[in-house]
Formats: sequence, C-alpha cells, structure tokens
Amino acid sequence: MSAAQFTGQDFKQRGIHWRPMLVTLFNHSILILFTVIIVYPVVWMILASFKTPGELVSNIWGLPASPAYQNYADAWKQAKLGRALLNSGIVSIGAVLVVVCLGSIAGYAFAKFSFRFSTLILLIFVFTMQAPVPIIPFYVLFVRLKLTDSYLGLILAIASGTIPLSIFIFQAFFRSIPSELREAAKIDGCSEFAAFLRVIMPISGPAVATVGILTFVGAWNEYFMPLLLIRSDELRPLTLTIQVFFLQFGRAEWNVIFATLSIASIPMIVVYVILQRWFIRGLTSGSIKG
Amino acid sequence: MPATSIPKNPLAKVLSRRLSKLAPYLWILPALTVYGIFKLYPLVSGLQMSLLRWDGIEEPRYIGLRNFEKILSDEMTLTVLMNNVHYAVGTVVGKIVLSLILAILLHQALKGRTFYRTSLFMPVVMSFVVVGVLWSWLFNPQFGLINSFLRGLGLDFLVQDWLGDAAVALNSLILVDIWKWYGFHMVIFLAGLQSIPDELYEAARIDGASVWQQFLHVTLPMLQPVMIVNVTISLMGAFNVFDIPFIMTAGGPANATNVMALHIYIRGFKFYRFGYSAALSYVLLVIVTLVAAIQLKLMTSGDNSD
Repeated sequence: MSAAQFTGQDFKQRGIHWRPMLVTLFNHSILILFTVIIVYPVVWMILASFKTPGELVSNIWGLPASPAYQNYADAWKQAKLGRALLNSGIVSIGAVLVVVCLGSIAGYAFAKFSFRFSTLILLIFVFTMQAPVPIIPFYVLFVRLKLTDSYLGLILAIASGTIPLSIFIFQAFFRSIPSELREAAKIDGCSEFAAFLRVIMPISGPAVATVGILTFVGAWNEYFMPLLLIRSDELRPLTLTIQVFFLQFGRAEWNVIFATLSIASIPMIVVYVILQRWFIRGLTSGSIKG
Repeated sequence: MPATSIPKNPLAKVLSRRLSKLAPYLWILPALTVYGIFKLYPLVSGLQMSLLRWDGIEEPRYIGLRNFEKILSDEMTLTVLMNNVHYAVGTVVGKIVLSLILAILLHQALKGRTFYRTSLFMPVVMSFVVVGVLWSWLFNPQFGLINSFLRGLGLDFLVQDWLGDAAVALNSLILVDIWKWYGFHMVIFLAGLQSIPDELYEAARIDGASVWQQFLHVTLPMLQPVMIVNVTISLMGAFNVFDIPFIMTAGGPANATNVMALHIYIRGFKFYRFGYSAALSYVLLVIVTLVAAIQLKLMTSGDNSD
C-alpha cells in the first residue's frame, strides 16, 4: 500500500470531521484578529500611561520597566481632572433625569391615549431627530436665553437631542404592558398620573435602564455641545478638558496624555464590561426593535 | 331644592370631557417644549439668519440670498463636500462589509460569542476625543504603533505620514471611524441574522443551494431591514462628522480633511461669519435629506423582485 493511497483514504474518511473543525478554526482566527485590532490599542494606551517619555519612543511594544505612577498624579493635577469628572457627572446625570422624566411621560401618552395630532407629532419627531441642527441659530438661542456657560444649558442641549428616541423606546415598552394593570389602579381610585407613577413606572426598569444608559453614555462622551456652549475652565467636562490639555501639552508630554485618556475611559469600560448586555441593548436600541 | 346642582352638573360634565380631551397634550407638553425650543426653533430661526451679513456683534444687515450665491461660487464648498462624499463611501463600505463578515462568522462560532461581542463593541462606549487623541499618536510617523508595526514586518513601503500627508489623511480618519463603529454594526447584523428562521436554509439546502447561493438568496434578502438601518446610520454619520477631523487634523493639511460640519463651525466661530455659516448649515441639511431619501428609495425598491 502506497503512502499516497493511505493518506487519500485517511483524508476521505476523516474529511467529515476535519472540515467543520477547519471552518471553526478559520472563523475564530478572523474574529480574534479583529478583536485584537480593537482591544490592543486600548490595552496599549493603558500600558503607555505607565511609561516614561523616554520609554514611549524607545520601548514602543514592551511593558514599562517600572510603572510611572507619577503620570497619573501629573495628569490629575495639570488637567484638573477631578473637576472635569465632577462636571461630566453632573451633566450626564442631569441629562438622564431630564430625558427619562420627559420621555417616559410623553411615551406613556403616545402608548395609552388616543388623541388628535398624535401621529403628526410622532412624524415630526421622526423627520427632525436626525437632522443636523444649524449651529449659529442654536448658539444664538443659548446666548439670548443666557444658557451658555451653565450646567443647565448643556444638559438641555444634550437632552433635547435624545428626547425623540427615548419617547419611542418608552412608547414601545408601555404598549407591551397589559392595560388591565392601569385599569385596576384606576378602579382603586388612582388618578391616571398616580397610576403611571405608582403602578407602571415601578415595573418599567428595563426601559428606564435602556434610555438611561443611552443618554448617559452619549452625554458623557459628548464633545461638540460643550465646545460650543462652555467658556469657563471650571465648567469644562472631561471631553473638552482632554482636548484642551492635548492642545496645550500634547506634543511634549504624551505619557501624561495617555494617563488622562485612561482616567477618562477606564471607568466607563469597566462598567460596560460588567453590564455589557444592558449597554449593548441600550446603545443599539435606536436601531433594533425590542 | 336641587336647582343648584342641576345646571352645574352638565357644565361640569362638559368641562371634564374637554379636560380629558386635553389631558394627553399635558403629558407630552414638557417633552415637546424642550424639543421645540432647542431643536425645532433653531431649525427654523436659522433661515432668517442665513439671509444676513452678520458677525455676531454689529447690527446684522439683510442681504437676501447673497450668502447662498457665495456658497455656490466658492470652490471651497465643492472641496469640502467631496471630502464628505469620499468619507461617506469609505466609512459606509468599510463598516458594512467588515461588520457583515464578522457577524456571519460570529453567528456560526457559538463558543466565545459573548467575549467577541463585548470586545468588538467596546469602542462605542469611548469618546471620540479619547479615540481621536489616541489614534493621533498611533499614527505618529516616527514613534507610532502603525509605522512601527509595518517596519517590523518589513513593509517599509507602506510607512506613511498618516495625518500629515494630504493624499492619505482623509483615509486615515476613515480608518479610525471604521475602527470605532464596526463592532456596533456587527451587533445589529447579528440580531438580523438571528431572526432568520432555520427552515429557510433547510429549504434552500434541499433545493441544492450552495453556501454562496444561500447567502445571496436567503441571508442578504432577509437582512434587508438591518442593512437599511446600518447604511442609514453610517451614511448620516459620515455627512455630519465633526469630532474626528476637528480633533485629529483640524481639517488639514491644506483642507484635505475639511468636511461640511467643520467648515460651518470654522466660518461661524473662527471667522465670525454668522450669516454665511447659517446658510451653509441649510445647504448641508438639504444634502443630508436628499442623500437619505435617495438611499431609502434605492434600498427599498428591491422589494419588487420577490
């Protein structure tokens, strides 16, 4: 028996098992390649935040010889990151509160009441929510209302963009709640609004989480609105702070820059990894129904 | 005597019926007010500003459609718009092809699905400021990761001045945009793939369809709704893009990465040409609307075939 024959037979017999395994191997290698392309730059950024300026240019791929914690102390002090984190927190939480409150109440009306113009109003939302706002009239409006350089102005600027989507998410959720619940509460003597607050909202956690995450991540990462509306250093959120710091010190102190980038993104990434199912659902909720 | 209660009752009834008809509007009023003031009002009030010569300080002067005439005759407008078109083609094709391939692979590879999904989606939760600043360094010609990687592989001919070379810079920004979003589009495609019933593939296999034919005649048509969503999102993103070019290149070198949103911002807040900038915003608005309409028309007209 020749070797060629043997291998041929062997291959034919085992072919059924080999092919799916090769396909699986191929699938995983492509997926791993593109996962590495995503994850490696972020891991590299964190490693770089512990390097000295010299290591950044001489030791591009390796680990830092000894972690330069000083970068973080410098970043925190020079970029005033404490204040920036506080500002981002206030604005993001404020935006979440505005969007969840206004969006849930309006979404409930669209889901449970029938009234004239409801379709028209929803259509106006659909057609305008994607439209880029002309920034000059937008800015002039904030100047005239004296809402530039204020938390409230920034919160409203960010929240107004997310309101239509939040209404659609809440409306879809409330439609799925059986009307008997609402009827029962009303028979017990609750007003419509009391029924909404005491019976409907307590079981609406999933919709609140979806809208809350969507709004929070958007507000936390928002760059353009603060660029347009915030003038004073003390009110700058994280994104604007990083960009200003980058312009001021970037060319010289990249290791400190990487420390600011890490401080800005690691907390969000950690929360995201823990709650990934909720984050992915929230952040794609504008695109996938249900 | 019930005389006091008789005339009061119908009135109260009418009143309460009127009120109950108005009630839904009270529920939507807060949301509508905020949206109306901060989104709809600027959308309308800017029209009047686009007819002005105005620097934001001195008295505005009415100049009719002169701003629009200037926009049409300015060569810069075409340069900037073509950059947007280039950016749109690059990002939409890149994101759709890559995310569709990865979604199909992930749909088959059951093991590690959560790991891949979580990792690939991660850049979505990062700010464009962080992503932009990080990539400016990765693209650094001397010490950046990209060129260092290419040199390590012996691919020196691919080494570039990624952000400094006018012929390359826009494509570099497109790569960053694709990097940030392909995991997002993959998740949406994956949801679409999971909603396709297995029976369709079984029927196709019984009819003797190859894997490729199954993809063309089952997968792609069934993915049409999520395909529209993905294309719309990435297309709108490409025509409204601001953060990446503003942070990474400020529109340079030599306007090679200047896009409409950036052009509008620079005319308005660097040169204080408020009227001209407002007019530019409406040009962008019309273009975005047209692009969206054409794209939806093209993508839904395929329905007739089946």
